Amino acid sequence: MYNPRVAVGDWLNERTGYRRALHVALEEPVVGGASFAYVMGSVLVFLLVMQTVTGALLAFYYSPSASDAWGSVAYLEDQVTLGWFIRGLHHHGASAMVICAGLHMLQVVIYGAYKRPREVTWWVGVMLLGLILAFALTGYLLPWDQTGYWATKVATGIAGETPGAGVEVQAALQGGNEYGNLTLTRFFALHVFILPALTFGLVAVHVMLFRKHGVTPRWGRSAAELERTTQPFWPDQLFRDVAAMAVAFAALVGWTLYTGGAGLDAPADPSSNFDARPEWYFRALFQMLKYFSGPMETVVALGAPVLIGGVLFALPVLDRGADRSPRRRVVALALVLAGFAATGALTMISFRADAADPALGEREVESERLARRARRLAREHGVPAAGGTAVYTTAPWYQARALWAEHCASCHSGDERKGPLIGPGYNSRAWIRGMLTTPSGDTYFGRTKLAKTEDAMPDAEATGADLDALIEMVYAESGAPDADRALASRGAEVFADQPCADCHERTGEDSSSGPNLAGRGSPAYLRSFIADTSQPRFFGTKHQMSRFVDELGPAELTVLADWVVWLRTATDDDVARLDE
Amino acid sequence: MKQAPDRRRFLKVATCALGGGIGATVAAPAVSYLLHPVGRRTVTASSEPIDAIAADAIGAEPVRVPLRARMLRDAWSATSDVPLGAAWLRRDERGVHALSAVCPHLGCAVGFDRRAGEFRCPCHDSAFAVSGERRSGPSERGLDPLPLTIEDGRIMITWIRFRSGGSSREPA
Repeated sequence: MYNPRVAVGDWLNERTGYRRALHVALEEPVVGGASFAYVMGSVLVFLLVMQTVTGALLAFYYSPSASDAWGSVAYLEDQVTLGWFIRGLHHHGASAMVICAGLHMLQVVIYGAYKRPREVTWWVGVMLLGLILAFALTGYLLPWDQTGYWATKVATGIAGETPGAGVEVQAALQGGNEYGNLTLTRFFALHVFILPALTFGLVAVHVMLFRKHGVTPRWGRSAAELERTTQPFWPDQLFRDVAAMAVAFAALVGWTLYTGGAGLDAPADPSSNFDARPEWYFRALFQMLKYFSGPMETVVALGAPVLIGGVLFALPVLDRGADRSPRRRVVALALVLAGFAATGALTMISFRADAADPALGEREVESERLARRARRLAREHGVPAAGGTAVYTTAPWYQARALWAEHCASCHSGDERKGPLIGPGYNSRAWIRGMLTTPSGDTYFGRTKLAKTEDAMPDAEATGADLDALIEMVYAESGAPDADRALASRGAEVFADQPCADCHERTGEDSSSGPNLAGRGSPAYLRSFIADTSQPRFFGTKHQMSRFVDELGPAELTVLADWVVWLRTATDDDVARLDE
Repeated sequence: MKQAPDRRRFLKVATCALGGGIGATVAAPAVSYLLHPVGRRTVTASSEPIDAIAADAIGAEPVRVPLRARMLRDAWSATSDVPLGAAWLRRDERGVHALSAVCPHLGCAVGFDRRAGEFRCPCHDSAFAVSGERRSGPSERGLDPLPLTIEDGRIMITWIRFRSGGSSREPA
């Protein structure tokens, strides 16, 4: 009977030979039967595929340049649909690979699977472990955030201590004399082209060698028993492999959801003081360096990885007996297990030391706050072309506050100030009330030279409703939208009857012995006032403030004036919120 | 290697189901992640009219003027003073006119052929009259006019990028 599925299959098979390829790939006999002990290799291949897929997805949004890397990752993490999830899978996937590589190696060591004739398989495996760590090291830097930047600085710094050619080795790794664009393009090229190519090549060799020699069954089973219990790879072993992959995958997804992804620190800031910490799997090496100093430090930092790799490489040569029973291989097993234990112990000591340091905890809270702030600013305003840290300049009033700190703060804020206090509420009704009733009070002109002369303003004589009206009159000059015009007009009448009018003009730009009050507190008035208080309509010859028109440009004066206007309706909380 | 066919069949189905489940759990988020830019304005320029040139610098012959945005948001970055495109400006008895230099056919930049007295696209030879009217070639519509006003003697142009292709004019 004609079966269309078979017909299409036949057509395709005739042209590709896919049935034979599938047969070769799947119908491998598993000597001694399928087992969950063998799943780790397949799980590692699965994780490698996951890293490749998620890595390719990340490349759709990532930009490897010192000015764009952090911004692109912040965009991916905080704005792209499920970007945090994809990046979280990739980030934690690296940890999963290290864990599974450790378990795989442990299983191979316990089963004695590195022994003749599988020495080359083992050596290729050790090289693959090195590649996994190289992936982790190069990938950590790519977001160009504080964590990655400083941790990788330590790693390249260690490479810079290579005897004889340290400077050259470090320059080759980091692409020049300092961290910059070339460091990122270099790490990116290594991470996404060179390391994957090497890894896929070595995995192919590793799997081919595995297929050549087959699985290494548990020790102490007779040849006849192994023969009798043999099962096919498909579906018996592959089912176990896929089940293990599903467990690993569920754990990876669960951990990614639980942690909310990889997280992203504040943009790399070479001027900051950051507590560099490597990823957890490098913590043992990190901790070990604390115990050595001087030339010994270099020896340990460079020597430890070489020693560990050397011992692993030499294992099949050191442990050569035919018997794979663990009882006959106590020395070899003890060596590897002691290595695992020492690594675990150092890792734990390192994490405990950090947990016991409250000052470090505070600094971490502060750096998390900075990271949140940087990411919020990036989301709301974008990252300026200057790159990562320039994101802070997009904060509201950034320029005004920087100018303020540089030019104004020493005289107008803090305990050491010499002029009137200017802060939240400046030129508000409450401020004006204080100014009129106690002009020589400490927060007003009390600290100026003017307050000690006979030119100092006397306390206002008006009280009650008259004072309220006067206050409204002064307040209305600022152009505040909530000013009560009727009350302000009444204030003008009170003003004319009081001594105020003896010293203050309140129209046009006429000069008087005190400042002309027309437009007082408005943006244009403040701009002109900050520029030059010695103008006749302001303080004239009695002025004490610097003439900022000589130091600041028109745009800067405008920004400062706008900032002072903003302060009128601001509270301490509003100002504090600017730093969140 | 002999075993019950039911068990083998179960293992095969279970293996494929688990594998398919993993694949789908990755594929579904991946698709929405990749399609994130679709339907979103990932590049936005400040929208106020752009100060192009002094009005009295424009005569009967078309002049090409670059238009720069005060601010451009492009995915993660925010850049100031960025070129957005160019306009051809010309004056006739009715006043000053601005045409987008983007060819309405497939988006190449049109030039002005002085000898022929017409706009020509260097890519596919669409030709347009000085007024912007379509003369010949594959473009289905004339050059796209840009709104302008004159303030204090300066020509202020609002930049619009129109969708290329087709005979109707729609902002991209």
